[in-house]
Amino acid sequence: MGLLTILKKMKQKEKEVRLLMLGLDNAGKTTILKKFNGEDIDTISPTLGFNIKTLEHRGFKLNVWDVGGQKSLRSYWRNYFESTDGLIWVVDSADRRRLQDTRQELDALLLEERLAGATLLVFANKQDLPGALSATEIREALNLDNIKSHHWLILGCSAVTGENLLQGVDWIIDDIASRIFTQD
Amino acid sequence: MTSCSCRNISVLEGHDTVALEEDYLCPTEANIYNIDFTRFKLRDLETQTVLFEVAKPPPSDDGIDQDHDVDNGDDVDPNAGRFVRYQFTPQFLKLSTVGATVEFTVGDKPVTKFRMIERHYYRERLLKSFDFEFGFCIPNSKNTCEHIYEFPKLNPDEIQEMIDNAYETRSDSFYFVDDKLIMHNKADYAYNGGQQNM
Repeated sequence: MGLLTILKKMKQKEKEVRLLMLGLDNAGKTTILKKFNGEDIDTISPTLGFNIKTLEHRGFKLNVWDVGGQKSLRSYWRNYFESTDGLIWVVDSADRRRLQDTRQELDALLLEERLAGATLLVFANKQDLPGALSATEIREALNLDNIKSHHWLILGCSAVTGENLLQGVDWIIDDIASRIFTQD
Repeated sequence: MTSCSCRNISVLEGHDTVALEEDYLCPTEANIYNIDFTRFKLRDLETQTVLFEVAKPPPSDDGIDQDHDVDNGDDVDPNAGRFVRYQFTPQFLKLSTVGATVEFTVGDKPVTKFRMIERHYYRERLLKSFDFEFGFCIPNSKNTCEHIYEFPKLNPDEIQEMIDNAYETRSDSFYFVDDKLIMHNKADYAYNGGQQNM
């Protein structure tokens, strides 16, 4: 029995899923995390480190990591890749000026070996803002259709209203579960 | 900080001799990474209310913790920073899903393999244990971690026993960096708060 098989079996037993949420600063990662968990979102300051939540969802033990997106912090992202089952990439759909930045950062992540097996969910956040680009427009701007290396999905969402947060998380869990927990 | 709804709950920090009789498994100096717990928050997921929140005052401008400014030097309790006493009301034992958040800051060295093991006991009985690896912590970072979990199921006799025996519910929190113990914190708990007024 190989190490990977053993690890898979261990994961299977606890049905533990590790999600890593990244994106540029001010994309809304922490707000998504808090809203998803029914927490107050009135006072959220820039994340200068990480925010972790562990929770049970649909029989899975989710460990969600939200790591700060400021430029000075991005070089530390690599420290959180290990064992990641799903990557949630959060985009501020109203921040047209930095679409190129977000595309470049995402492209770099998709080349990371330690994220090679991870499912990718892109949240086109801030759909509640006037002037926000649609999920289709973000999909084109980030050239997502070119991704062949990862299972991926893009969803428009709003961390403020909660729109599509649950749908997104459920999709990424389903995709991960179908890869990890059912094969034996 | 958002004000807490400290309804029927009080927190008495440090300066208590009872829990200090037992040993700490490492000296306070073992924390060479300057990891500092700055906030603790507990919320009820059912009602989505904050049950309580305590935060450490930020360091004052001269870099000295405000809560140390008034020390006279002689009778400083060396364990004051690592022991907390909580007093809850009996209703607390009937909660079903809670979220416990800790916030901590890290000094100017990167921290690797940061891991927490926490055990909650009533007398000899293990009520709940956590084993969680934070992994890497960015130098000078501020981080949070919320564990959302089902409160252990207790039968009415056990609940009454825990209410009747204040501070016999205890917890130990062990923190490791690179498999080395760097912090050991303790807390104890009473669930008889508000009783005398009932």
